[in-house]
Amino acid sequence: MIDNFISGSAALFGDPFTIGIFVFGVIGGMLFGAIPGVSMLTLAAILLPFTASLEPAQGVMLFAVIYCTGTYGGAITAILFNIPGAPENAPTAFDGYPMTRKGQSGKAVGAAVLCSAIGGISSALIMMAATEPLANWAISNIGPPEIFALVFFGLAVASSVGGRTMWKGWMSVLLGLLVATIGQDPVGGINRYNFGFSDLAAGIAFVPAIMGFFAVSEIFVQAEKKAVGKYEAPKMSLDFPTMMELWTHKIAVIRSILVGFFCGILPGIGATLAAFMGYGEAVRWSKNKESFGKGNLEGVISSETANNAATGAAMIPLLALGLPGGAMTALMVGVFQMHDLEPGPMVFYNSPDLIWIVFAAMFYANLSILFIGIIETKTIMYLLKIPFQFLAPMILLLASIGSYIGRGLVLDVIIMFGAGIMGFLLRRSGYSIPGIVLGIILGKIGEQNFAQGMQMVHYDVLEYLSRPICLLLIIAGSLTLITGIYKALSYSLKS
Amino acid sequence: MSRLKTNHIVETLIWLTFIVVFFVYSFEFNQEIEIYIFGATGWPRVILGLLLLVTLGNFLHLYKKGSEIQQGRVGITDEEENISYNSIVSIWKLIAILCLPLIFAWSLKPVGFYSATPVFIVLIILLLGEKRIKWVLGIALFIYLLLIVLFMVILNAPLPQGNISPFYDFSAFMLTLNTNLHQSLNF
Repeated sequence: MIDNFISGSAALFGDPFTIGIFVFGVIGGMLFGAIPGVSMLTLAAILLPFTASLEPAQGVMLFAVIYCTGTYGGAITAILFNIPGAPENAPTAFDGYPMTRKGQSGKAVGAAVLCSAIGGISSALIMMAATEPLANWAISNIGPPEIFALVFFGLAVASSVGGRTMWKGWMSVLLGLLVATIGQDPVGGINRYNFGFSDLAAGIAFVPAIMGFFAVSEIFVQAEKKAVGKYEAPKMSLDFPTMMELWTHKIAVIRSILVGFFCGILPGIGATLAAFMGYGEAVRWSKNKESFGKGNLEGVISSETANNAATGAAMIPLLALGLPGGAMTALMVGVFQMHDLEPGPMVFYNSPDLIWIVFAAMFYANLSILFIGIIETKTIMYLLKIPFQFLAPMILLLASIGSYIGRGLVLDVIIMFGAGIMGFLLRRSGYSIPGIVLGIILGKIGEQNFAQGMQMVHYDVLEYLSRPICLLLIIAGSLTLITGIYKALSYSLKS
Repeated sequence: MSRLKTNHIVETLIWLTFIVVFFVYSFEFNQEIEIYIFGATGWPRVILGLLLLVTLGNFLHLYKKGSEIQQGRVGITDEEENISYNSIVSIWKLIAILCLPLIFAWSLKPVGFYSATPVFIVLIILLLGEKRIKWVLGIALFIYLLLIVLFMVILNAPLPQGNISPFYDFSAFMLTLNTNLHQSLNF
């Protein structure tokens, strides 16, 4: 492995043009991740046609680097403005943004920088050491039934976080799941809930929904405060967390690396569920549960470690099986195909150079988050000094463009602002915005894998539960739900 | 004793209406799928059934406890405080702020991004309370130019052009300028 890593590093740093692409990817990913309203996906989608003129290794490496640094960059906007740069940064906003409101933005961003780097580097190292055995394990043990079971468990955990009551937590998740049914059904391709709009046949895209529920609703919440004279500008701080503060959360970091890596390795799941699960597990094991959502540093640490830990892991199903784990890895498949290559087991034998340049680049990209991230963050933090009335139109317009250019549909911009108004009203009534968003993201994955899983076991529930990973996750999810029902009912009925 | 308020009843009725509308609409696509026994409606109807159950549970909570936050809930921010409006102007201002982005979005198809954006920026800045006209116009121009340079000139991103004259003509003029600029700079 070390020899391969050294040869990958030599290939990466031996050619000035490849170095240039690497640096462009690092800075571009961070910037696009950190600009409110656009994301690493926007950059990747724009760059996709240009990769045709690059070497295959350079093209895939560029996207892998953007993936690593963009995942970190999205945390900055999540913390400073409550606008997750990508779905995987959504849980970072739960505690990161309250920290900004309390004048602790420096601490939150500093923790995000360090933990993103730790999560990413750990993930890159495990990926280098174990891609082939892990891929073999995943092939033989993970199928649609297991993925559905994991989605079920993830949703059960998500419903217990956010929302003034357990009922509202569940209603939020179910609303998200229902929204995800809009568009063609994943088995028969039958149009559902398009209400006469032909554009809705493609379903509700994640980006407009996330932008609307998080960014636009946040602008409306602050605008309301401004309208009634209660607005307070967020306080800027450049106090990064001390090593001692971070050391106290070492268990959370290790747990999130494991959770993130496990979720990342599963095809179709990717970093988003990793971040939610990392956050959920941090809450579950914390002695101070009530402080989550109000500015607990551990919330930021868990989410950011987990989502970056998933970046390396997400490359395993992509490279070893040819299965993308999320939107960004799906775009990487596009890069492969533009060069007449198919990601999959044969890539390891046919193009080992490509694999090791990509692995080395991901390692160095995560390392560079530490150094460039701190410098970049200190500059970006000054955005908080811009008066709200000037920042708000900028965010709304960037979000509009970000929503539009994904599919070129004005309907997506309308959906984004509609989601913003809905998010604003639901937040005021105590519903969970993260729950809705997770429902939207996981709904389609859940339904598709449920259908495939049921077909695999010929609709025999016992056969379904005879799969050990399925059984474990279904029991864990059911226990979470049963405990929740008991708590919610006993609390509501208590006089 | 009941702690129900009118807004709780309205909230529950909205959810029930939502569930009924979605359930009724599900008959529009109630088709069998040969390879899948639950069909296209199975999954959404299960979600609707569960949503009905938790809506009733939520109503029970509202009936017994009102808007009280359940003890031990995790991840609730402090921001969901009660906001009281001191004047009718504040309410209208908020309604305008909520509606303006939607109107902007609806206008993108006929009017296009290039013409609708400057008007939107000026109006939203004014609604958010900025009174210094020079600042309003200056910042609006700055944001507009920044977006044009970033998305039109550098990234060449396709933005809505509108389909009504003279807005469409203005978009065409902007795109011609961009093409000429690219040609002169050999982009």
